[in-house]
Amino acid sequence: MERSLRLRTALTTALHVLLAGLLIVAVLAIFVFAPTEETMGQAQRILYLHVSVAWAGLAGFLLMAGAGALYLLRRDLRWDHWAAAAAEVGWLCSTLTLITGSLWAHAAWNTWWTWDPRLTATAVLWAVYCAYLILRSGLEDPHRRARAGAVLAIIGMVDLPMVTMATRWFRGIHPPSPQMEPAMRLALLLSVAAFTGLFGLLVACRRRQLQIQEMLFRLEQDSDM
Amino acid sequence: MLARLGWMIHKDLVTEWRARRAWPAMLLLGIVVAALFSLQADLAPSEKHAVASSLLWVAIFFAGMVAIERSFAAERDEGCWDALLLYPIPPGLIYLAKLLANVVALGVLQCVLIPLFAVLADVPLAVHPWALILVAALGNLGIAAVGTLLSALSAGLRQRGSLLVLLVLPLAVPVLLAASEATRLAGEDSLGAAWWQWVQLLAAFALAFSVAGTLLIDVAVED
Repeated sequence: MERSLRLRTALTTALHVLLAGLLIVAVLAIFVFAPTEETMGQAQRILYLHVSVAWAGLAGFLLMAGAGALYLLRRDLRWDHWAAAAAEVGWLCSTLTLITGSLWAHAAWNTWWTWDPRLTATAVLWAVYCAYLILRSGLEDPHRRARAGAVLAIIGMVDLPMVTMATRWFRGIHPPSPQMEPAMRLALLLSVAAFTGLFGLLVACRRRQLQIQEMLFRLEQDSDM
Repeated sequence: MLARLGWMIHKDLVTEWRARRAWPAMLLLGIVVAALFSLQADLAPSEKHAVASSLLWVAIFFAGMVAIERSFAAERDEGCWDALLLYPIPPGLIYLAKLLANVVALGVLQCVLIPLFAVLADVPLAVHPWALILVAALGNLGIAAVGTLLSALSAGLRQRGSLLVLLVLPLAVPVLLAASEATRLAGEDSLGAAWWQWVQLLAAFALAFSVAGTLLIDVAVED
């Protein structure tokens, strides 16, 4: 028991160090390694961050709905902790997507916001995240909260194809994945990998916290009886 | 099964007719929104045409939620919920009955609001009557499907009325967008490919929400 715990701590630390290294490399790649784009200049570097958090925002939604569905099947609160953690971090990423996207829009299109199909779908995704968090905060009983959240997350899934397919299905001004220089593509890949790792780490930490909270709650209940 | 579904809808409509709990408030809210729009928006005719359809659907949504919010909450408040669950039908059928009763409520609302908006915005109403009816019906189904499911979910919640609108609105935005675009295009001289595309999107959402609602209602109502 003692040994496996020590091994686990060592592994976690190694993972954290690896992730920190990856983040530093990604930041260097974005600001030093990647060439400056011709028409947009330095502002184009927002793209690396924007794509990374946008992807994490979508992944968070998928995780939230997937964990919610697993909760409904298994009725195990551990799945609900995953869903709740994914929702909170996903909400953050979705918010950052809107903010970085808005900065990009100001540099590229000379407007902070426009109702392009993909922008609209992303705003809807953000609002569904908000609704999910508000719904959860209104419910006390953990199983009831888990059930209600799972139902909302699963219906919210209808918006995901709207976000991903928006640039193909409708005419808008949000660019689909463009042709890029190899150095730019590499910087983007590094950035996406680093932020996906960071996203995963944050979700895992928050899940652990929720789990401990739940254990504490049970212990308190038991001691009352 | 169909007869039982029919009786469930009949029960809801008769209850509403006798008690008149939700529909008068719903109609009044819709009419007030329509009046505010024409009072406030002093626009050129072409601009009015452009905004009338979206305001129409916003009015339908907010007024409709007054009726949709009641559909499960009323059963709980009056203590009929347990009796309803004892009735020998699956919860999916209860959901379908509530959904169809809400579609009727929204249809009644539209019978008042669509002519009212057409008059106030001075838009030709019946250029393509069947196209308009199709869009209205699909939009109804989409709003009612997601609204009914979430009203079941939030029936036991504190401040459920204001919360329900907040929960349903993000999910209903695609429906409202598609419906208002399709309504606007249905008022033009010829129905183009763009109209058909919006109708397809609307139908896809209405179908997806109805199917998801029928499947998920089991978990939404268990207590």
